[in-house]
Amino acid sequence: MPPALHLSPGQSSVHPASHASQEISHLWWMMMIAGWIGFALVVFLLTLGWWRRNRANLPFGGGDRAATAWIVGLGVGVPIVLLSALFVWADVFVINSTAAPREGSTRLTVDVIGHDWWWEARYPASGVVTANEIHIPVGTRVAAVVTTGDVIHSFWVPELNRKIDMIPGRRSEILLDAEHAGVFRGQCAEFCGLQHAHMSFLVYADPPDRFRAWLKAQQRPSAAPASALARRGKDVFLSASCADCHTIRGTSADGEVGPDLTHLASRSTLAANTIPNTPSELSDWIRDPQHVKPGNRMPALGLSPDALKAVVAYLDSLR
Amino acid sequence: MSTPSNTVLQSPTGPVATGRVAKPNGLWGMLLFVATEATLFGTIFGTYYYLRFTNAEWPPAGVPLPSVAVPLLLAFVLAATSAPMAVLSRAAQAGELARARAALVAAMVVQAGFFAMQVNLFEDDLAKFQPQGSSYGSIYFTMLGAHQAHVAVGLLLDVWLLGKLARGLTSYRVVAAQSIAFYWHFVNLLALLVVGAQLSVRV
Amino acid sequence: MAVDVELSPPAIARIRRLERIWEEPRGVLGWLTTTDHKRIGLLYFFTTLAFFGAGGIEAMLIRTQLAVPNAKVLDPNAYDELFTLHGVTMIFFFIIPMTVGAFGNYLVPLMLGARDMAFPRLNAFSYWLFLGSGVLLYGGFAASSQAPACGWFCYAPLNTAGYSPGHGVDFYALGLIFNGISSTVAAINFIVTIFKLRAPGMSLNRLPLFNYAMLAVSFSLLFALPPLTIDLVFLELQRKLGFHFFDVAHGGDPLLWQHLFWLFGHPEVYIIVLPAFGIATSIIPTFAKRRMLAFPLVALAELLVAFIGFGVWAHHMFATGLATTTLVFFAAASMMVVVPSTIQIFAWLFTVVTGRPEFRAPLLFIGGFIVFFVIGGITGIMFAAIPFDQQTTDTYFVVAHFHFIIFGAAVFPLFGGMYYWFPKVTGRMYHERWAQASFWVTFVGTALTFFPMHIVGLLGMPRRVYTYPSGVGWDSYNLSETVGAYILTGGLLMIFANLAWSRFRGPVAGADPFHGGTLEWTTTSPPPPYNFPVIPEVTSPYPNWDPPDRERDRRRLERGQLVLDAGHETTASTVRDGLLDEILEMPSESWWPLVTAACITAIFAFLLTSHFAIAGIFALTAALAVVGWHWREPEEPEPA
Repeated sequence: MPPALHLSPGQSSVHPASHASQEISHLWWMMMIAGWIGFALVVFLLTLGWWRRNRANLPFGGGDRAATAWIVGLGVGVPIVLLSALFVWADVFVINSTAAPREGSTRLTVDVIGHDWWWEARYPASGVVTANEIHIPVGTRVAAVVTTGDVIHSFWVPELNRKIDMIPGRRSEILLDAEHAGVFRGQCAEFCGLQHAHMSFLVYADPPDRFRAWLKAQQRPSAAPASALARRGKDVFLSASCADCHTIRGTSADGEVGPDLTHLASRSTLAANTIPNTPSELSDWIRDPQHVKPGNRMPALGLSPDALKAVVAYLDSLR
Repeated sequence: MSTPSNTVLQSPTGPVATGRVAKPNGLWGMLLFVATEATLFGTIFGTYYYLRFTNAEWPPAGVPLPSVAVPLLLAFVLAATSAPMAVLSRAAQAGELARARAALVAAMVVQAGFFAMQVNLFEDDLAKFQPQGSSYGSIYFTMLGAHQAHVAVGLLLDVWLLGKLARGLTSYRVVAAQSIAFYWHFVNLLALLVVGAQLSVRV
Repeated sequence: MAVDVELSPPAIARIRRLERIWEEPRGVLGWLTTTDHKRIGLLYFFTTLAFFGAGGIEAMLIRTQLAVPNAKVLDPNAYDELFTLHGVTMIFFFIIPMTVGAFGNYLVPLMLGARDMAFPRLNAFSYWLFLGSGVLLYGGFAASSQAPACGWFCYAPLNTAGYSPGHGVDFYALGLIFNGISSTVAAINFIVTIFKLRAPGMSLNRLPLFNYAMLAVSFSLLFALPPLTIDLVFLELQRKLGFHFFDVAHGGDPLLWQHLFWLFGHPEVYIIVLPAFGIATSIIPTFAKRRMLAFPLVALAELLVAFIGFGVWAHHMFATGLATTTLVFFAAASMMVVVPSTIQIFAWLFTVVTGRPEFRAPLLFIGGFIVFFVIGGITGIMFAAIPFDQQTTDTYFVVAHFHFIIFGAAVFPLFGGMYYWFPKVTGRMYHERWAQASFWVTFVGTALTFFPMHIVGLLGMPRRVYTYPSGVGWDSYNLSETVGAYILTGGLLMIFANLAWSRFRGPVAGADPFHGGTLEWTTTSPPPPYNFPVIPEVTSPYPNWDPPDRERDRRRLERGQLVLDAGHETTASTVRDGLLDEILEMPSESWWPLVTAACITAIFAFLLTSHFAIAGIFALTAALAVVGWHWREPEEPEPA
C-alpha cells in the first residue's frame, strides 16, 4: 500500500511563478470580480422581482418600453462593451505572453515526449536524457518542445504557464521561465488512459550554477556499482528483462520502452511523481508495479527477495 | 388538384387561403432529410480537403491519379437524369400519369446504368490501391461509397414509386413523386461535387 | 374554448364521435402501436428517467471514489468506464430525449393547436429507435462486460483499436450512430409540425416561445448530427476495416477527430440548453402574470444562439496548438454567442420584475435556473479569454462550468416543467410545500456539488482522474462536492417522490390551475386523445388569455366548424402566416414503427458483433417494413 505522497510543490494557476502565468492569474482575478458584479446584478433583479411582487411595473415608473430599453441596454449594450474589452486584453495582449516562444528567443531547449504514463525529457544541446523530472535555470527563457509517443497527452505546469497538448505527429512549443527558484508540479491534462491520474512530473527551477552542476552530472554515464550488492544488482538488472525496456548509459542496457534510469537516484520521485524515491518505495514498485499503478506497462518480474534487494541497491547508487 | 392561389378570403372562421398554398408535409420532410444528408456530404468533402491540405503528398506515392474522362462523363450522365425527374414531378402534379411513368422509367434506366458502371470503376480502383493503404485511399473510397449508397437508395425509391404509379395517381403519390425527384436532384448534384473532389488532385 | 361550459347535444355528439375516432386500443397493445404524441411523450419520459437514474448512479460512484484522496472504491478501468458512461448516458439518453422526446412531443402539438405531430408514425418510430439504441448499448455492456473507457468525446488515437481494444468503443460508436437516427427523424418531425400544423391564425409572430426553442433545437440537430455520424463512421472503418483517418503514420490526423466531434459537440450544448430556455419562457409569463417582454427579440435570440453556435467549435481545442489567428477567430465568435443569451436573461428578469410574480415551485426552479445559468455563462465567457482557457481547460474548472450549465441551466427547468405541466398531464396537482422544499434541497445540493469544482480546478486538479494525491490542497473541496452530491440526490428523490405520490393522491386539478397563456391550458387535464374538440383559432401568442377567441371556438364547436369529426384529421397551415391550408388525414395506431425499429436495432446488433451478412438481411427486412408502412395511403385531402 503506497503511502500518500506529500507534496509541497504546487500546481495552482493562481499561484504564478512566471510572467506568463502571472498575466493569466491577473486576468482571472479581474474576470472573477467582473463576474461577481454581473452575478450580483442578476441576484438583485431576482430579489427585486420577489420584493416588488405585488407591484407590476419598474421601480421608478416606466412601462414595457422602458423595460425593453433596459433589456437591450443590459443584454446587448453592456455585454458588447465588456466582451470587447476582454477580447482585446486577453486575446490580443495576454495571448502574446503565453504564445509559443519565437525562434531564437530562448536560451535552452528541452524536448518532452509524453508516454503512457510517464514523461521522457531530453536536452538536445547537452545530450542529457532523463524522465519525470525537468530542471531549468531560474530567470532563463527555456523552450519546452513537446510531442507524444502514443496517445494525446498534455504538458501542463500551471505555476509556470498554460497547458499545451502533445499530439502525434506534431511538435509544439511552450515557454518555461521561472521568476524564482522552486519546485513546480506538472500533470498530464488530457485523458490518456488508465493511469492518466498518475502521470505528473516536477520542474525544478535551480539557480544557474546549481543547474549547470545538475546538467553536468546528468551528462556523465552511469556510476559504476561500488558495493558487492550493487554489483550483483547490476548483473540482475542486465539479465532479467529490465534492459529490454530501460536504458542505463554506460552499460549494455538500451531499452527505450520505459524511462531512462542512468541517474535514477538523482530524482526525487518514481513512477511519474506517484511515489517518493526511497529504497523501500523503489523495492515495492519493482516487486509489484501493478499494485502501485494498476494498468501501467511495467510487468512484475518475479525477482527473488535477494535479487530485488540487490537491484534496489544498484539503482539507488545511480546518482 | 386545386389551383394554387394566395388569395385570402375572409370568412366567419377567420382568414382562409384558397387551394393548397404551402408545400406538402411529405415534401418538407424530404427537403429537411436532404438538408441533413447534404451536411453529411459537406462533412465528407471537408474531411477530404482537410486531409489533402495536411498531407504533403496527395495522393501518396504509389497511388495513381484518378482517370478523368469516364468518371466525369458518368457524373454528367447521372446529373442529366434530373431532366426526366423534373418531368416526372411536373407531370404528376398535372395529373398526367402516362407521361410521369415514362419519365420515371427513362430516369431509372440511366440511373441503374450509372450505378452499375460506378461499381465497376470502384472495383477497378480497389485493384490499384486500397483504403487501408493511406488516408487518401480511405477518404476516396468512403466518399465514393457514400455517394453510391445514396444512388442505391434512390434506385429503391424509384422502384417503389413505379410500383405505386402502376396503380394510378393520388395526391399522396404526387407528393411522393415530387419528393423523390427532389432527392434525385440532390444526388445528381452530389455526383458532380464528388467527381469534382475526386479530380481536384489533378489541379 | 372554455371546457367546463355546458354544451348542446349536437356538440356533445361531435365530441363522442371524436372520442371514437381517436381512441387507441387498450393495454400494452395500445402502447406498442400508439401514434398519439402524448403517449409517445410519456414513453420517452419514463425511459429517459430510467437512464437519468443510471447516469446518476454512475455519478454517485464517481463522487464516492473522489471523496477522499487515494480511495480504492473503484479501480481505474471501472472509473474510466463510469465517467464515460455518465457523460454518454446523460447527454444522449437523458437530456436530449427528455427535452425533445418527452416535453417536446407532449407539448408542441398542444401548443400549436394541432391534434398530432405531422408524422405520427415517424414519431413512434423515433421513440422505438431511441429505446433500441439504449437497450443495445447497455445490453451490450452488460452482456460483454465491456464499456467504452475513453471519455464521452473519446479522442483519437486513444479511441483506436490499439489503445482501446475490445468492444467498448465499438458499442459507443455504433450506439451513437443509431441514436442519431432517432434524433434526426424527430427533428424533421418537429420542424414540419411547427411549420405546417399550426392552428389557423397562428402566424410566426404568434408562435409560442417554447416552439421557437424547439424549432432552433430541431434545426441544430439536423445540422449538428452529421459531423458526429461521419466521425463515428470513420472511427469504425478505422477500427474494424483498417482505414486510416486519425493515424499520422498513414496520412491521417488525430485533430480531424476533434474538429468533427466538436462541430457536433458545440451545437449539442445549445441543443441541450435551448429547450430549457423554452420551458423558462413558458413558466415565467404564467407565474409573473404578464406577457414576456421583448417577445420578438427573445424568439430571434433563441434562433441566433443555435445559429452562431455552429461557428465556435474550436474553442474546445484552444490547447491543441492551433495557429493564433484561428484561436482568436473562435474566441471572437464565442463571445458573439453570449449576446443572444444575455438578451434572454434580462428579458426573463424584467418580465418578473414588471409582473406580479407568484413564486410557486415552477417559478422557483426557474429562479434557480437563472442563478446557475448566469454563473455557468460567466465562466463560459471566461473561456473565451484564450490564455485563461489554456490554463483551465481539462481541469475541474470546466467540469464546474458545464455542470452549472447542463445541470443547473438545462435540468432545473425540466424539474420546473415537470411540476408546471404535472397537473395538465395527470389531472392532479402536486404538493406545493413539498415541491418548494424539494427545490431548496436540490438547489443547495447542486451549488455544493459543483461550485467547489471551480476552486479545485484553479488549484490544478485535472479532470478524468480516478484519484488524486493528498497534500496538493484538493482534499476538502472534493469531500464537499461528494457531500453536495448526496444532498442533491436527496433533493431529486424528494421531487420524484412528490410527483409519484401526487399522481395517485394529489387533489384533482382542473384544466387551467395556473392560468397559463398557451393552448394546452384550454383543454381538459389530461387532454383527450384528440387534444381539442374544435381546432382553435389564434390571434395572439397567449391564446388562453383571449376569452373572446375561446368563446368563438365554443360557438364553432356548436356549429361544427373545424371540429373535423369525419375522420382522423387535423388542419395544415401555411408556413409564415398560419393561414388554414388544408385538412389532413392522419394515420392512427400502427405496428410498422415498432417493427421497422426492431429491424434497424437488429442491423446494429449484428454490425456490433461483426455478422455483416445477417446485418444485411435485416437491412432488407427494414426496407420491406418501410414499404409496408407506406402501403396504405391517407384519403385525398379536402380543400379547406
